[in-house]
Amino acid sequence: MLRIEGLNVSYDSERILNGIDLEVKAGETLAIIGESGAGKTTLGLSIMGLLNGNARGRIAFDGVDLLSLSKDEMRELRWNRIAMVFQNDEDVLNPVHTVLGQVLEPMVEHRLKNKEEAEQRASQLLSEAGLSSDKFYAYPYQLSGGEQQRALVAMAWANEPELIILDEPLSSLDAVSRLEMMELLKRMGRGRTILVVTHDITAAANLATSIATMYGGRIVERGATPAVLYNPRHPYTRALLRSYPGMATGKDLQGIKGRMTRGVSGCPFHPRCTQAIEICRREVPLLVKYRERLIACHRGGIIPALSVKGMSKSFGSVKAVDNVSLVIDGGGTLALVGQSGSGKTTLAKAITGIIKADAGDVYLEGEKVSRRGKDFYRRVQMIFQKPGEALSHRLSVLEAVKEPLDIQGIETEAKRINRVKKVLEEVELSTSADFLEEYPHHLSGGELQRVTIARALVLDPQVLIADEPTSFLDSSVQAKILKLLLNLQEQRGLSMLFITHDIAVARKISDRMAVMLGGKIIEEGQSSGILASPAHPYTQSLLKAAQGNSQLG
Amino acid sequence: MINKRNMATYGIALVFILALNFLLPRMMPGDPLMAIYGEDALIQMTPELKAHLVERFALDEPIWSQLGAYFWGLLRGDLGHSYYYNAPVSEVILGRLPWTCLLVGSSLVLSTVLGVVLGIESGWRRGRKLDKSLLTGLMALGGFPDFFLGIVLLLVFGVTLGLLPLAGALTPYAELSGLALSLDILKHLLLPLASLTLCHIGGSYLLTRNTMITVMQEPYILTARAKGLSDSQIRYHHAGRNSMLPVFTRTGMWLGRLVTGALFVEMVFAYPGLGYLTYEALLARDYPVLQGVLLMVAVFVLVANLLVDLTYPKLDPRASYAH
Repeated sequence: MLRIEGLNVSYDSERILNGIDLEVKAGETLAIIGESGAGKTTLGLSIMGLLNGNARGRIAFDGVDLLSLSKDEMRELRWNRIAMVFQNDEDVLNPVHTVLGQVLEPMVEHRLKNKEEAEQRASQLLSEAGLSSDKFYAYPYQLSGGEQQRALVAMAWANEPELIILDEPLSSLDAVSRLEMMELLKRMGRGRTILVVTHDITAAANLATSIATMYGGRIVERGATPAVLYNPRHPYTRALLRSYPGMATGKDLQGIKGRMTRGVSGCPFHPRCTQAIEICRREVPLLVKYRERLIACHRGGIIPALSVKGMSKSFGSVKAVDNVSLVIDGGGTLALVGQSGSGKTTLAKAITGIIKADAGDVYLEGEKVSRRGKDFYRRVQMIFQKPGEALSHRLSVLEAVKEPLDIQGIETEAKRINRVKKVLEEVELSTSADFLEEYPHHLSGGELQRVTIARALVLDPQVLIADEPTSFLDSSVQAKILKLLLNLQEQRGLSMLFITHDIAVARKISDRMAVMLGGKIIEEGQSSGILASPAHPYTQSLLKAAQGNSQLG
Repeated sequence: MINKRNMATYGIALVFILALNFLLPRMMPGDPLMAIYGEDALIQMTPELKAHLVERFALDEPIWSQLGAYFWGLLRGDLGHSYYYNAPVSEVILGRLPWTCLLVGSSLVLSTVLGVVLGIESGWRRGRKLDKSLLTGLMALGGFPDFFLGIVLLLVFGVTLGLLPLAGALTPYAELSGLALSLDILKHLLLPLASLTLCHIGGSYLLTRNTMITVMQEPYILTARAKGLSDSQIRYHHAGRNSMLPVFTRTGMWLGRLVTGALFVEMVFAYPGLGYLTYEALLARDYPVLQGVLLMVAVFVLVANLLVDLTYPKLDPRASYAH
């Protein structure tokens, strides 16, 4: 139905859309999501031929290139075949004409109906859109935002267009009206091809059959709605979902580092991407097929920072870890949940090589780790359960945090000390000379754990394996440590394996969750999915226990 | 919508104007009769007449009785007597009013309609050739005072080309009737009308054009374009309709100046309107006529404003909503 190829749009010298390729099939509802300024509305307007800017490329609608049509041909096409529901800002409806008049206008002006027929049809559409009949002759300012939105919908449907573009159809509505409007759009949208442009993930989830994510004037990911929402593969899509306050998500909101800037060379998202490499700065990634979806990322979407395949470890006849496979997404948190003795710590130690596994391999960014030398520990670090025991009581804060740098032989002494101070600041600890000279027994539990985090982070590792890092802390300190880890993840793209017996903590910090019982992973998936509908009876009991523990909610 | 409070405001303004009109001559030093009637009148005044006038204005009675007498006179339509024209003031004014209404009214309608249409077309084509030439031309025309334009038109069409009459509103003693009369009136009207219209067109044109340019940026214009409407439908039904609003207010305010608006042009063409009457009365120090005209103007301004207030909500439905 609609096929956009290599669409470039610029206003003056500023590029708004860059090489957009997009296909919408007849009867499909495609949602385009992204932050404001991504170019979503511009895309809608360029399909309508309403741009003031300069468009190049091809917008084929039913085989006809819209960009090649004359002004009159385009005018004839508008509203008859492609209509748009504009974002209901101020004055999208003309303030001096009645609602009914504005709905019937396109029918009369395109000579589809005479005045009486058009009036009848307009009334019918307005009632269908849920506007009460006493408001038909009202002026826009006399209507609430929701009623105006209904009028806009009725107006868009007036000439029975095949394609309808909805620009932020829910943005001006309160929660209850939103729900009604979503139902309405679903009902009225049946049988039509719809393009929804929105930053509202809920709207996209409810209305669309597939989703395309847009960033910096480019499509960066495209796939079926459930796939994109439950398993986003582009770092930007995931970041966007993480910053959206949905009722189903448990993880604390995370922003995206930096701001959107225009005119970036290479991948538009690279300045904010935590897994950007050299090529991302240089070359624009193409939108290519990746499994069941399209992704524009040089790294093929979110990278597997660390994966474990078929790992086993037995102590005598006890199988502590039994053929476990895991993937930790780059910049994501995998929570490993299970009761004491389920083999979580053994698994962590086997991954880091503290104990030797009987079988199984570890892969770092897809490459098999054959021996764990210095460069392995430069990339993978661990935080232990008991910070007091993890730090040598004979080393001062400075010495403890600097030690990994000394071992790795990185830079000069002065630079090492600077790095220590920087990382201490990052974990919100003092960098005063007094504090640097402190010994572990003078520090509180929270400070100790921060020191171990600083020690783990000083090498700037990609993967952090945290074994119950907060179980010995009281909840206020725990909250701060969790926030700190989330922040570090947002800023540095830290990938984490977070081991905990507390599913409530796991919910707050993880994107994905793996439940371990008797050395085996019995359930694994998106945290929100597992929490909403746990499949395994053991997970159900864990969840029940956690809910019973916290009557507060 | 206009409410009781607004109406009360108009009432208060009217009373204030009437009171001022009553008080001014009485506050002037010397004989109030002289202030009311001017020096000319006193020369031909006999003691009988004087006694009659003193009684009529209750000048020998306290101020409240004088005020009562004044209002009673107004209610009967008595604006006093002009000794210069030797006729009641109301008669003098009413005799001139139709000519002014014809001249100023039609020029007001014409300059507004033309100004709005040109403004809409010009704003629609902002920055293009037509817009630029209209802008320059109309601004230059608006820069001349109306009497200057009148003199130029008079010299060109009246004197040099001899196409149109030089003065007056009718050919005297022609005893025309029917179509010939209408044509005669039109011929006399043409030049003063042209000079007034050309002079005032710039104002409504500029206002419309500027509003049009702002309105063209409004989201509902984009909506209208998206609906695939024809250019003229967008230009007039959507953009023009909204651009007219401030012009309407401005024209309403001008309506109040209808009476004196044409003073200079009426002088140039010796057109027998209220402006010319004012001029004559000033020269003759005919105070009763001047006072009558002043009252007329004041009442006109009030009525015009009231009309704008009453009709504006019909044009812009939002106005009845705001307070």
